[in-house]
Amino acid sequence: MKRILAMLLALVMVFALVACSGGNNSGGNNSGGSGGGSTTKGEEGSIPGVQKTLTIGIASDINELDPQQQNDQINNNCIALTHQPLVFLTNDTNEQVACLAESWEWTDDTHLIFHLVQNATFNDGSPFTADDVVFTFEKAMDPDQSAVAATLQLVESVNKIDEYTVEFVTKSYSNELLAVLAGYPLVILSKAAYESGMDKPYTVGTGRYKFVEWKEGQYVKFERNENFWGDDPGQADEIIFKPILEAASRVAALQSGDIDVCIDPPINMLEDLQKDENITVETRDGTRLFYMGFNCEKEPFTNQTLRQAVACAIDRDMIIEVVLKGLGKAQTTVVNRGVWSFYDEMEGFDYDVDRAKQLLSEAGYSEGELAVTLYVSNAAPYTTIAPIIKQNVEAIGITVNIEQFDEATLKDKCQSGEQQMFLWRWNVIDRLDEIYTELFSTDYATNYHQYSDPYVDEMAVKVLTEKDKETRLQLSQDLQTYLVEACPQVPLYVADLVIAYNKNLQDTYLFGGGNHNWSWAYVSLN
Amino acid sequence: MSEKKTVSVETLNEYKGRSLAQETWRRFLKNKGAIVGMAFMILLVILACSGDLIYDFQVDITGFSADLSESPSLDHLFGTDQLGRDIFARVIYGTRYSLIIGVGSVALGLVVGLITGSLAGFYGGFWDQLVMRANDILYSIPNIMLAVVIVQLLGKSIGSLLVALSISSATSFAKITRAAVMTIRGQEYVESAYAMGLPTWKIILKHIIPNCLSPIIVQVTLAIGSNIISASSLSFLGVGVPIPIPEWGTMLAEGRTYIVSEPWMCIFPGLAIMFTVLALNLMGDGLRDALDPKLKR
Amino acid sequence: MIRYVLKRLLFMIPTILLTSLIIFFAMKIAGGDPVKQILPENATVEQQENLREEMGLNDPLVVQYARYMAGLITGDMGESYVTGKDVLQTFMERLPMTLALGGSALIVACIISVPLGIYTALNQNTWKDTTGMVFALFGVSMPNFWLGLMLMLLFAVKWKLLPSQGAEGPEYLVLPALTVGLGLAALITRTTRSAMLDVIRQDYMTTAKAKGASHRRVIYYHGLKNAMIPIVTAIGMQFSLVMTGSALAEVVFSWPGIGRLVFESIDKRDEPMVTGAIILCCILMSIINLVVDLIYAFLDPRIKAQYSNKG
Repeated sequence: MKRILAMLLALVMVFALVACSGGNNSGGNNSGGSGGGSTTKGEEGSIPGVQKTLTIGIASDINELDPQQQNDQINNNCIALTHQPLVFLTNDTNEQVACLAESWEWTDDTHLIFHLVQNATFNDGSPFTADDVVFTFEKAMDPDQSAVAATLQLVESVNKIDEYTVEFVTKSYSNELLAVLAGYPLVILSKAAYESGMDKPYTVGTGRYKFVEWKEGQYVKFERNENFWGDDPGQADEIIFKPILEAASRVAALQSGDIDVCIDPPINMLEDLQKDENITVETRDGTRLFYMGFNCEKEPFTNQTLRQAVACAIDRDMIIEVVLKGLGKAQTTVVNRGVWSFYDEMEGFDYDVDRAKQLLSEAGYSEGELAVTLYVSNAAPYTTIAPIIKQNVEAIGITVNIEQFDEATLKDKCQSGEQQMFLWRWNVIDRLDEIYTELFSTDYATNYHQYSDPYVDEMAVKVLTEKDKETRLQLSQDLQTYLVEACPQVPLYVADLVIAYNKNLQDTYLFGGGNHNWSWAYVSLN
Repeated sequence: MSEKKTVSVETLNEYKGRSLAQETWRRFLKNKGAIVGMAFMILLVILACSGDLIYDFQVDITGFSADLSESPSLDHLFGTDQLGRDIFARVIYGTRYSLIIGVGSVALGLVVGLITGSLAGFYGGFWDQLVMRANDILYSIPNIMLAVVIVQLLGKSIGSLLVALSISSATSFAKITRAAVMTIRGQEYVESAYAMGLPTWKIILKHIIPNCLSPIIVQVTLAIGSNIISASSLSFLGVGVPIPIPEWGTMLAEGRTYIVSEPWMCIFPGLAIMFTVLALNLMGDGLRDALDPKLKR
Repeated sequence: MIRYVLKRLLFMIPTILLTSLIIFFAMKIAGGDPVKQILPENATVEQQENLREEMGLNDPLVVQYARYMAGLITGDMGESYVTGKDVLQTFMERLPMTLALGGSALIVACIISVPLGIYTALNQNTWKDTTGMVFALFGVSMPNFWLGLMLMLLFAVKWKLLPSQGAEGPEYLVLPALTVGLGLAALITRTTRSAMLDVIRQDYMTTAKAKGASHRRVIYYHGLKNAMIPIVTAIGMQFSLVMTGSALAEVVFSWPGIGRLVFESIDKRDEPMVTGAIILCCILMSIINLVVDLIYAFLDPRIKAQYSNKG
């Protein structure tokens, strides 16, 4: 008996030990004084009246903190804390304003000159100069070192003029080069950090915060850069991003105070959250367009009239009501609502079953003749949208089979053109080229529609390079009308941005598409 | 389920004489939990078979109404979901999918397990090594991870779900059969049958399998339950039964974002799974007690 | 004994080899094109070809497998396509978390099940027995993740007693451990009950009672002692279940363990991570199984004698 007891005890102890060592993994950081991913609810930081830690509950895992190796929204949220771009995109007017560059001008069609700020420093104390800019962009343009080289295809070289002036030599004029440079993959890196041979040199930037640590799957932690060069430094001592993938858990964490911000709270929980007096629910216009695309190269959707018939069969209002409880806006055009030159006045193909049936017979099909597949990701909201579309389209006599995949597989399949219809989304804040070229240009990798039309290709280039604003507006709107008629996709809705946070959260800087900048945010204790 | 039972009772009658089967049945009937479990399962089988008579798949099950997300009421006993579909109808209709998946995967696993297990037990040597090593492998990979990989490999459908789930049940059936075959193989009546020149497969079929039936019957009931749970877990992980089929696990997975605001979307399919598996477990326990010679008094 | 352990360790080699073979090829087929995974969507064909060549993806699968196994022996299991981190290192970072969860779940299960098993056995065939068993069965009759969600709803959202997710201290372990533990309780209760029923009928129990030992002493000293072996066996057999249960609880409670790692990697088609993690799981389970077997040998002299004879 004793022996058995001893064995059992030993077993328990082994587990207890393992359990402790597991706890210590995260606990060890706690002993360092600053909470390793744990909240300091109500604890005051070094700035009076400001909660020490701001914890943000995010909906997907962070997977890369090297700016040029990624272009995921959630990584960009982190990079926005530690790094700064040459020009900064504002969240209200969608304009590029001065950041690390004080001013800039196109000297001719192929030369863009930037005058840099002269007092900026990196968060390791070293000064920021033209060398860092040249280094950053030469690295970014090298496809072996950067995943975003393609966005800089237009740039031929980046040259240093003097210590605080750089020149971009381009192949042609572009309306959107500045917007590209405002993107977080192209923030300025420190040349000195890379040359020092330090671990993770890409974490050194000029931003308001410093990278502390990343425990994969648990949290990423940043602390305030005490030597920030500008005059509006960060407020909270620490900012922590915590992935909580299960939506219900994320909301629970906000309600119990474990996190201060809940990204993407499920729409159906909003009512509950709004009743909670400690929580603010904010909604603002979104920039992410959800759509149903057709594969225009594969039967039967090579037939334009058939595409139009299906478009007429889809009840967008119902989708918005069910999926978003009304927190979204329907649209006819393919350009995301809010982007410059957005034009929604064309007739388009609104929900009209009779018209749909008529178009179907014009397309040369009778009811009940066709059966098509709809490829969807197995994540929300697609799993809710898909059955509605199935029901809608079957109402005009086309059988729809839903096939579900994980997102990576779905992308693969859409890229190689296996799909007939698919559900996808596209987030665009201010660059038309991300729509006209990336979605509809012949053979572009993200053109899942497999759409190919020389007229569209040509117009896309014109919109990108036309200098006269009036003419450009006209071109862009003509192209929209043309694309709606061609109907490679059925735009469903732009979802409003919904975010829930601690009612004492101050100074947020939110973007409708989710590329938030948390550099100024803090929880007030007053 | 009722089908399985009659098979077992018949075979027992045939090979072991009436008295043992009757004895077992008598003892099974004494167990109140087991009776309740069996009654519930019979009810489910009836519901599963009659679902089409009550409901129209297109209209009641996948078609939606204007009553979005309504809480349970007299009109909608279990409430409606985010598309206005009646959850009571979907739960009732979904019975068949859960039962087909549970029973189908166990049946598939049973066939594979019986064959490999008896081969291993009967021939020993190479076969034994082969089967046992394969079992070792399957035993050392957590079932659910293996199942996810298999569904990824075969694509998302009920068929691949059946295959994925049957593998883990096959392991336990093979083990039980092998152990039973090994003990029975050495016994005199088997050796005499061998001496009489009966072909091996006949010996396995006539003498060996009937003799390891009782642990298998118990395992079948329990495995159906655990496979229903596994299927719902796979749906939760997004690799289960595709939408809009109203399988309980899929309904749970769909309803889980609504767990706070519209909890009935999650609670009722969850309860359906719970009561079904509970009934199966109660039956299994009852059978185990009834078939266990040690507990004879 | 040592020879037995060595023999078991040797047996692990073909198991691991076969597992890796199956998983490697399965993931090669199911995993899609890794080049498209790593490179951005708008990469040129030339870039794709270069990377493919560099990664050796143009070699026959057999060669790739041989290379992978050679790496495995030296502990190099490749890098994640998603995070670029070393597979082995990531796995080892997550391992303690899963062990902690699994271990505490087992403890929870034992605390519930052993007394319940004894209680039901002592009251065999009464309403107490039935109620007790139905209670034990509840845990195993619910989908694990559903139980987890319900517990979270009650304890974290409604009553705000415990944290809903994360892994920053012992209190974070409570809900996941309870979730997994309740799922394991049924089997242990059942085993304890039937082992106790067995033991109660033995002659030595009657003898002990006849000799005037107190009821309590008879049950707990003579009874439980002899029922221990089947109970420990049952616990040993649960490890696969523990892993499965933990994997789901990890997803629900954002517990950074192996299960969540595997599921998330599968979702992102992170082929080296999935292949590596599953092979490592297999090795881990084989070792745990071996340890469990050795514990039996230690517990039961008869089994120990058997090993020595064989060995």
